[in-house]
Parts: sequence; structure tokens; C-alpha cells
Amino acid sequence: MNNTAQKLETATPLDTSCYAAVTDAIRKEASRILTDGTVTAVVGYKAGRRAGTTMPAIVTDPAKATELIFSPACVNNLALYLTKAKKDVVKKGRVAIVAKGCDMRALAGLMGESQLKREEIFIIGVVCAGVKGSGAVNGEPLTTGNLARKCRECTVHTPEGADLTAGTLPSLPELTPVEAEEMARLDAMTPAERWAFWKEQFSRCVRCMACRQVCPFCYCEQCLCDKNRPQAVESTPRPAGNMAWHIVRAMHLAGRCAGCAECERVCPMDIPLNLLNRKMALEMKELYGFEAGLTPVEKGPLAEYKDNDDQSFIK
Amino acid sequence: MSRIGVFVCHCGENISRTVDVERVAAEIGKLPGVALATDYKYMCSDPGQGLLKKAVAEHKLDGLVVAACSPRMHEKTFRNAAKAAGLNPFLCEMANIREHCSWVHEDREEATAKAIDIVRLMVERVKKDKALQPITVPITKRALVIGGGIAGIQAALDIADCGHQVLLVEREPSIGGHMAQLSETFPTLDCSQCIMTPKMVDVANHPNIKLYTWSEIEHVDGYIGNFQVTIRKKARSVDMDKCTGCGICMAKCPQKNIKSKFDCGLGTRPAIYVPFPQAVPNTPVIDRENCTYFKSGKCGVCAKVCGPGAVDYDQQDELITEPVGAIVVATGFELYSIAEKPKGSSIKGYGEFGHGTIPDVIDGMTFERLASASGPTGGKILRPSDGREPKQVVFVQCVGSRAREKGISYCSKVCCMYTAKHTMLYKHKVHDGQAYVFFMDARTPGKSYDEFWRRAVEEEEAVYIRGMVSRLYQKGDKIVVMGSDVLVGVQVEIEADLVVLATAVQPRQGADSLAQKLGISYDTYNFYSEAHAKLKPVECATAGIYLAGACQGPKDIPDTVSQASAAAAKVMTLFSRDQLEREPIVARVNERNCVACFSCKKVCPYGAVEEKEIRDRQGNLIRVVAYVNPGVCGGCGTCQATCPSKSVELDGYTDEQVMAMIEAL
Repeated sequence: MNNTAQKLETATPLDTSCYAAVTDAIRKEASRILTDGTVTAVVGYKAGRRAGTTMPAIVTDPAKATELIFSPACVNNLALYLTKAKKDVVKKGRVAIVAKGCDMRALAGLMGESQLKREEIFIIGVVCAGVKGSGAVNGEPLTTGNLARKCRECTVHTPEGADLTAGTLPSLPELTPVEAEEMARLDAMTPAERWAFWKEQFSRCVRCMACRQVCPFCYCEQCLCDKNRPQAVESTPRPAGNMAWHIVRAMHLAGRCAGCAECERVCPMDIPLNLLNRKMALEMKELYGFEAGLTPVEKGPLAEYKDNDDQSFIK
Repeated sequence: MSRIGVFVCHCGENISRTVDVERVAAEIGKLPGVALATDYKYMCSDPGQGLLKKAVAEHKLDGLVVAACSPRMHEKTFRNAAKAAGLNPFLCEMANIREHCSWVHEDREEATAKAIDIVRLMVERVKKDKALQPITVPITKRALVIGGGIAGIQAALDIADCGHQVLLVEREPSIGGHMAQLSETFPTLDCSQCIMTPKMVDVANHPNIKLYTWSEIEHVDGYIGNFQVTIRKKARSVDMDKCTGCGICMAKCPQKNIKSKFDCGLGTRPAIYVPFPQAVPNTPVIDRENCTYFKSGKCGVCAKVCGPGAVDYDQQDELITEPVGAIVVATGFELYSIAEKPKGSSIKGYGEFGHGTIPDVIDGMTFERLASASGPTGGKILRPSDGREPKQVVFVQCVGSRAREKGISYCSKVCCMYTAKHTMLYKHKVHDGQAYVFFMDARTPGKSYDEFWRRAVEEEEAVYIRGMVSRLYQKGDKIVVMGSDVLVGVQVEIEADLVVLATAVQPRQGADSLAQKLGISYDTYNFYSEAHAKLKPVECATAGIYLAGACQGPKDIPDTVSQASAAAAKVMTLFSRDQLEREPIVARVNERNCVACFSCKKVCPYGAVEEKEIRDRQGNLIRVVAYVNPGVCGGCGTCQATCPSKSVELDGYTDEQVMAMIEAL
């Protein structure tokens, strides 16, 4: 379930013609900007060890630009590698990053939070028809059946504001918004049912913290949840601490989350974390008219007080 | 292990009436780390403080909890006592078992249990308290006075005479305020202009006063001793440096029939005008709404006739930022109007008095203009409707004031006296006229006030009728006043030529928005709140801001002048030192954990957070972190709550302390 591909009966192949063109464009551009010294490194994807898979890669040598690829298996949000939490990944200097639309939202968010400067990065925006969900078989073609859940409702297939945008978008079919339907189902529950639902979900959490490690917005070098004097969140995987951790995570991402759903993808226990992220985003939209977008916002809705802010939550 | 001393105060009976203080002391005495727990009738008294000091030495205490009233009341007292006993004052905390407990509960059992809880929390907090050192910040010895009425003028002159720079900001084209509009003043009947205008000239000529007229406060930043004030200097359309005040522009302006606000709409003025001949500064302003040039682009007569070429149609509003150390707010009042109020408004108009549609029903200030020698009638009392001399005048007191059904329950304080004065002025000018006054009570506390009122009744033959007026209506050229005389017990009907309403004194429109800019509190009527009704009547709860005059509550001239001088004295007390000691309750950044997201900087209401670069010995930039300027930090803790990595802590309120308090519950 969750980020896992939806095995729908009517799975039809998607037009993946754009990926090869995007790969070409990335290689050409990476080679050019590494050669002329525009950037010192390019953060992108290269083929994984197993056929049909990919992995994040950092290329500093123009000769190795040909290793870079883009395919439906390029699931990772590379914005992560530019944050302080991964400070040793990219050495000093201007770097280029391959970014899908969803990743670019994260980059914009990081800029708004003073973590990145636009002039210090070179964005190779890529047109993306979607990436595979985590249950898809390596090497199988991208279909409406094995598409990641987030991609079914994607609004940023073609990123804007990049230094270069590679590829042209093929026509894509209308897809059922599986995640939105699931959210509606949860919304229809009584608070007690919803509490039971999440209690069950969080009871599985093993506190591996993969969701935190993969999140581009969890860039704190010292997470408050690891502090023990005073201890805010119990660190062992027990129900109270699990609940506390997931609530802290969701609240800390409110008004910030870019919706890349990486947390949900990496969760070994299949906890549908993106449902929480999206619910928070929805609250932000309803309360403050705020949506995480492609332009950096210096003061997010929760960092600003306006006279006309909704006060109805104080009763 | 800590050695904490806990002192439970009876506060006379204020606390001990509902809280079993002895049991509180006994229970708290059992807590680990508490070396002494005792109770005393008045901890704040000299023997009470003595008890505390003695205990510190005798029991080698390293932390104190005084369970008594609110820390706003006596935290300073006990911290000073702790200091005198050789303890760092910030190791002494108060547990509020009065306002938070005994005053709000009735059940003795429950109140005692709650008091024990409150004290227990504070014991946990004190255990984790750290010794803090006070912070010193420089003081900008320059004051801002907002409002150029008698209050602002008096405060500005007093501060300036003491040798400090003063900025006086007035929103109208001239200083003077309401007092400049008055005819004669009670209880001595001296001419208001005669005592006011010399003070206005003093302000204009004072080397230490910088006058900003036709200006408003746009924005206020900073804190006591270090405010940054942005003043909007509205476009006057006349160059103040070039204008000589000859007045030819006003004489030649073809627009002549604009109702004068200064004359309460009775007189007229041109579009380029000074509000009254004695205005300070004597520089006209173009009223752009009514000026032909601004409306149609044609005319320009004033510019043509102006010798020095001072008229400047292209002038723009100017924003000026000035540093000041203290602020005196003296924005004054305005009169309640009986006109219909918007729907849903908490204050209602007087439909029974015609909502202000009867021309010969006027308010007290309009009567002042009629009686004033410099007024539109040259001091003759004439009816606004037909210019006839009224032979029967009815004065109605408490219109709006003390009228809960109209939304105002307070007494406007000045009306009893000025109505008595009005009857006299009327009698002096219209010898065969008769004044009637409808009143609830004649309130005349003040030096020579009652004598003054009795003179109006006994010597000047004003007929005082105790009772309320129920209705006013026009009948021919008369106004029928229907009221009751409660002393005789009859209904009264008087056909009057003129009716003067003593309408309530209200704060200025927009008083609330100025308060928000300044960060000061105000009551339901928008009168500004003093820090303590009795002991701090001129200070605001916001440090460095003081109140003068009717913006704080209805006041007559003597009271206003006294308060203005008191506010000035407070400012001078502040300016008597070069540095200000501030409480070290400020935020501190853990630079090792800060990830420089600057969320703290975005939310800080004081602008205290800066970006700090950390460099190695070679000067290479290692990282950028947030830095809280302790001089600017107001200690509100918003940054602490916002910081995602919990890298900001407020001294005295650390997460560790708050968590310990929660766990103790």
C-alpha cells in the first residue's frame, strides 16, 4: 500500500519518451557547466547496480557526465544532498542539481529558510511524467499501475524557474487521485476512528528515523527529538514516543513540506506519512491561503502574524 | 542537592482566607531540596523581608521561592531582598498563590491543593535557575511627545527645559489642541488663548524642541531607552522654510467656504489655511480634498501670489526615522456625538435628541467657540440657525456619560464644571437671558470648584433642574426640551432657543491603532491604561512609554498639566542615568546546534536577532548562526517556541525548567 504502486486492473503503459531526451540534455549541460567552471559538481542520478534501478550520484569530472541518467526509477529528492545535514556530500563552490518539479519545491523551500542561495546553485529542471512507486519491479515499464501515488496528482510535471529545463512533456492520462480519496476517507471518520487508525499505523514504527534522514527539511544537525536534557520525545519505539515523534514531525513540516513524499517512500513499515503531510498542507491552505510553491517565500504562514489571520481555532 | 527556602505569605487575609498557608508550608517542606519552608503574615513588609534575609544566612539557602502575590507586584522587592542577603537575585522566584489561587477560588481544600501545586512547580524551576547578571544598555536621551495639546506642550517644555531634546508630533497643522479652542477656563475664568498661546510660542522657540506638525506616527520599533520612531510628515504643500506666514495665500484663495473644524463647523476657512490666527507654526496647509488645483488641476492662485514661492503642489509625504529614549503619549480626547452610530457599535447615538439634526442643539465645544472672542461670532452668543441671540438656553449634562444604555458608563469629569462656566459666560453676554441646566449630580471636587459652581447657581442665577432630559424636538423656531425634575417630582417642558449638550469625553478616533503601534494597552473605551491605577498613574505597562492628559481618561486642564509634568519627571528620571540596567531575561542561541534557518529572526517582534558569522583564525567563514542582541531582546520567548532545533533558550525560562515544572505536576 501507500507509496507502493497501485496494482490497478486497468494498468496501461505511460508515454515515457521524454526520459531519453531528458537524459541527453542533462549529460550535455552537465558536461558544459563542469568544463567551463560554472559549477564544481553536479548532483544527479546514475544507473544503479541492478538493471533498471538508479542511485544518486555526484559528478565532478566532465568526462563522467555521460554517467548521468534520468528514468522513471529516479525517485530520490536530491535537494537533500544540498542541506546542512548532509554537509560533507557536496564540497564548497557552486553546484548544479537535477530537479524534478517536486524536488524544485523543496529547493524553493530551502531558499526561503536561508539554507540555500539561488545564486549558489544551478538548477537543471527536468520534465517528468512520473516515477515508479516502491513496489514496482525493477526494469518493468512505467504504467498507470506502478506509478508512485504522489505522481498521480502531480501539478509540477514541468518545473519553472530552473536555469535549464530539459525535455518536453508527453500527454498524460487523467488518473484517479488515490491519495486524495484516502484523505477523504480519513476525513469522513470520527475523531475516535481516526485516532485508532493512526495509533495502529504508528504502533508499527520502529523509530529507524529514515523519514527524518531523507527529508530535505529535516536539516537540523541536532534534532530536538534526540535531545535528552530535557527529553522532549521518548526515543525508544514505544507507542507514546512514536505518537509524539510523528506529531512533532508533522507539525515541524506544516507550511514547509514540499510534498516529495520521500518520507513515505523510505518507510520500512509502510506508514502513510504523506497523508499527514498533505493534511497539514491542506490546513495551511484553508487557514492562511498558503501553498508550498516554486518561488521561495521568506516568511512562511507560521512565521508571520497578520491581523486578518484566522482565529477560529481559539475557542 | 539544592537548599531552597520557601516562604508562604498570608497577605493579611488575602491568601490565608482561602488557602491553608501552614499546610502549604508543611507540604512543601517535605520536598527534596527544600531546606526551609515557613509562612508569615506579610512577606513584603520589613520584618517579612528580614525573615527571608536571615534565613538565607542561617540555612545556607541557594534558592528562594516566595509564595505570595503576582511577580508583577513584588518580584523586584524579593529579588532585592535576595540580593541584600548575598544571593543572586535571579535565584529568587515568586509563586503566585493570590491572583492565581486565593482570589479566584472559594473552596479551601481545593485552593490549598492548588497552592501546593503552584509552589511545587516553582521549587522545581528554582532548582534549575541560574545566576544571571543584569544587562546594561545605553539610553538615547531624547524624548518623543505624541500630541501637541496642553498635555503634550507641557510635557515637551518640561523635558526640554531640563536640557533634553524633544520631538513633538502633532497630527493637525498647528499645536494647541482643544485648549486653544476654549473661551474662558474654570474656575478663574481666565482667557484660554491668553494662557495657552504663550506656551505654544515657547514650544516654537525652544532650542531643544523639534516640532513636527501635520505629522503622524507611522511605526515604532525598539524598547525603553532605544526606540526608533518613524514619523509620517504629511505633505503640507507649503515649504516651511520659505513661508513667512504673511497670509496672502489665504486671503486670495478663491475657495472660501470650507467649514472650519477649529470653529466646530460654525466658521469658514479657505483651502489653504492655518486653523486659527495664533497657530504655531504659522505656516498654512493646503487641504487637498477641497483645493481647486488638486481637484481640477487649474487655479494655482496661492502659488502665484506667494512672494517667497513657498507653495509646492508636488510635495510628498515624508517618512522620517528618529531615535528616542522615551515616549510621552498625549493624544487627548474628542467629544462624543449624538449622531446615529453604525449598526453593531457598542456606543449608541441619541435618536430622542434628533441624532444631531436640530441645528440649534450644539455641544459644549461649539458653545466655547460661540463664546470665544476669537470665534466665528466674535464672542457673541448667536444661534447657528438664524443668528439670533437666544434668550432661553438649556444645558443638558451627562449626554453619553454615565449612560450605560448608550454604551458609556464612566463620568466625563469636566462637564459639571464647564456647564457651570457656560451658564456664567452666557449670563455675562446675554443679561436678560435665562440658563437652565438639567443635571444628575453636580460633581465639583477640586480647588475652588464648588465655590465656582455655587456662584453659577446663586449669583449668576442659572436654574439647575435635577433630572434627565427624555426628548428634544424642534417646534417652530424653538426647541422643546422634555425632562423631569426629580426633586419636585414633576415633568418639565421648556421651550428653548438653544440647547447645549455636555457630551461625553472619548478617546481620539484611532487611539487603538496608535496603541498597537506603541505596544501599550487600552481599555474597552480605548483610553490608554496606566501601569497601576494608584501607584503608577503615568507609566504604561510598556517600559519607557508614559501617559499625559485625556488620552488616559477624562481630565480638566489642571489635572492634565499635572500629569504632563509628572510624565516629564518620569522621562527625566530615566534620562538621569547614562545606562539602563535591564533584566537579563533574554534569549540565548546555542551556536553549535543553530542551523541558521532564521525562523527566530522572522518572528522576533523586537528585531533582536542578527546573523552572526563564525570564522576561524584565518578568517575563513565556518558557519553563519543566529545571534540575539541582549540589549534589544524583550524576553518574550517567541524565538524559543519557534526554533525547530531548540537552539534558542530564554534565560530563566529554559526548556529544562519548563519541562521540570510540567513533570512536577
